[in-house]
Amino acid sequence: MKLLLVEDELEIQDFLKPSLADAGYEVDVANDGQAAEKLASAHVYDALIVDLGLPDQDGIDLILRLRKIGVASPVLILSARRSVDDRVAGLELGGDDYLTKPFALAELLARLRNLLKRNIAVSAGPTMLRVGDLELDLLRRRASRAGDLLNLSPQEFGLLEYLCRHAGRVVTRSMLLAEVWGMRIQPDTNVVDVHIYRLRGKVDSEGRVPLIKTLRGVGYVLETQEAATA
Amino acid sequence: MYSKLKKRQPHSAAWRVSLWATLAFTLGASLVFADLHRFVAKDIQRRSDAWLSGEVQVLSDVAERTPKDRLYRRVVGEVAELASNEVPNRTGDEHEENDAVFFLQADPTGPAKLWVGAGNGKANLEAIRASHATPDVPFHLKVKGFPIPFRVVALQIDDGSYVYLGLSERDELRVLRNLRLRFLSVALWIILLEFSLVFYTTRRMLGHVRRISQVASQIGESDLSQRVPSTPRNDEIGQLAVTLNRMLDRIENSVRQLHTITDSLAHDLRSPLTAIRGKLELSLSTKRQESAESDWKPMIVSAIDELDRLTDILNTSLDLAEARADALRLRRSEIDLDELIRLMMDLYAPSMSERGLNMRLRSSRALMVSADAALLHRVVANLLDNELKHVPAGCTVTICLQAENGSAKLTVEDDGPGFEEELSQELFARRTKGKASTGHGLGLAFVEAVVHAHGGSVSACNRREGGACLTITLPLSPATQQAAAPEVNSGAIA
Repeated sequence: MKLLLVEDELEIQDFLKPSLADAGYEVDVANDGQAAEKLASAHVYDALIVDLGLPDQDGIDLILRLRKIGVASPVLILSARRSVDDRVAGLELGGDDYLTKPFALAELLARLRNLLKRNIAVSAGPTMLRVGDLELDLLRRRASRAGDLLNLSPQEFGLLEYLCRHAGRVVTRSMLLAEVWGMRIQPDTNVVDVHIYRLRGKVDSEGRVPLIKTLRGVGYVLETQEAATA
Repeated sequence: MYSKLKKRQPHSAAWRVSLWATLAFTLGASLVFADLHRFVAKDIQRRSDAWLSGEVQVLSDVAERTPKDRLYRRVVGEVAELASNEVPNRTGDEHEENDAVFFLQADPTGPAKLWVGAGNGKANLEAIRASHATPDVPFHLKVKGFPIPFRVVALQIDDGSYVYLGLSERDELRVLRNLRLRFLSVALWIILLEFSLVFYTTRRMLGHVRRISQVASQIGESDLSQRVPSTPRNDEIGQLAVTLNRMLDRIENSVRQLHTITDSLAHDLRSPLTAIRGKLELSLSTKRQESAESDWKPMIVSAIDELDRLTDILNTSLDLAEARADALRLRRSEIDLDELIRLMMDLYAPSMSERGLNMRLRSSRALMVSADAALLHRVVANLLDNELKHVPAGCTVTICLQAENGSAKLTVEDDGPGFEEELSQELFARRTKGKASTGHGLGLAFVEAVVHAHGGSVSACNRREGGACLTITLPLSPATQQAAAPEVNSGAIA
């Protein structure tokens, strides 16, 4: 897997490059938009990591221009701006992702994995979702594990459905709040965690291989059974 | 440059305004006077024409009837003299010799038959013959040797000769000249008065503006607390001062918020940064390095936790500063508060019951407000977070939603210990938090700022029966205000 990191700040380069290399990626670094354009047109990258505050131009303009010259790889946008501006929101719809500084390295790696894996489907048929021995019937709003019906509240079912749709990928608390409850809040209490604990109590009941994993400081991941047992 | 501007600009404006006003006034007055002058001149001429016509009639009668003998010249001459004493528009008799009127009788050709008037009348006769005037209609006659023209009327008598009666326009012209002189002297005074009046008022008005600009130029150099002087009158300049002062209020508020945020951010960030630094240094120390990984790893983990908290403080502080400085961009939409509260309660119910708290909702019907949904979510989340953090197990949190005087009133109350007495005065101030609180003390301040931005209000108190009570009011959408009176039905979620 080959990545292009477009970032002008040396401090960030210094820790991102070795971390990405440790995670098994081959990384090229561009210090500004011009260098990035040159590299991107000469090589094929699996994904791009682009900082919005480049010295010579705005990161969004760079991405738009790269798209114009035919670079279709997914982009992970890094920004120091707090609020997601409308242009970035538009890019997110196009399959790219957005991360605000300061970020946890684990989250960056998780999101990068999500970007690269985006096209791997886990659904089995239009009304059924299957992850290992976990089965969700989307029409009847019922879930079962290894044939045993799970007694879930509608909310818990929604939560599990979201985790299943993103099986194998990291979901953060704010992703869950935004997608399952439809609100952009950052509670300073563990409201989401309590929901997950309860769900885990039902899905990963005693004697079963635990599927819902917690990633410290990042969020949760629903492992596929093979990965969970490994 | 600055002092030159300060001195010159208002003055030149006053001069300019006064000059233009005077010019307009003078022009208007001149037009009115010209009209008046024309009217008076016409009227005087009409009167002298009437006199001329009457007198020439009398004279021609006399001339016809008087036998043409030696006495003829004397009789007609005396009648003409007599008539000349009754000329209209006569103001004074400073001339002994009567040159105001002439009487002439002559055939179409040949010398004059009879002449009464100044001089020998030859020039008059020549001028009359040259003018080819129609009889019986008064006409204008300029005679050589006389600086002032005559008004002449002619009439043919029985013997075929013509009689001419001429009246000098001297008196008429004198009246008009007097009129013009008088107008000029009066107009000069009036124009002077008008100019000084306009100049004085304009300068006074511009003086207000100058004082406003003086004060405004000082604001910002030293401090923002100064205000431009306001006039008691409610005119444009008074309103300019009021508007400027309102703008300054807003700017001062924003700047004060900025100061507060930088001050408190520096304060807030200092201790977590110290802690992080200390923990990282400790994990680096040789003694620790030799020890097991499990010894220093937790320290780094807690340093990372500390950094997360720092990021959180930073974000919340910036949100709060934005809200307080009226810089929040509200994306308003129609929101059903009842639905929003139920959704939030669904989210918080597991945590509440985990903490051993009961949660109850008393809400009768949909209440629509026009608000920013994301911000309202955060407001309610802050309130519920507060309850989660501060109310001991076994207590009940009651959420009430009702319409009251065109507002939606949301009450969150509990039967816990209530607010600490010394906090209750400044509950919504930044950084206010209970002794046992682990929060950053920004939650309720944010709630207040957001609710204010929506045109609502927040209040907090301790209930008489014990426990805290927090009330938020938000203006209802017009649609809900018109809806029927609420019917009470309460639901409970535990």
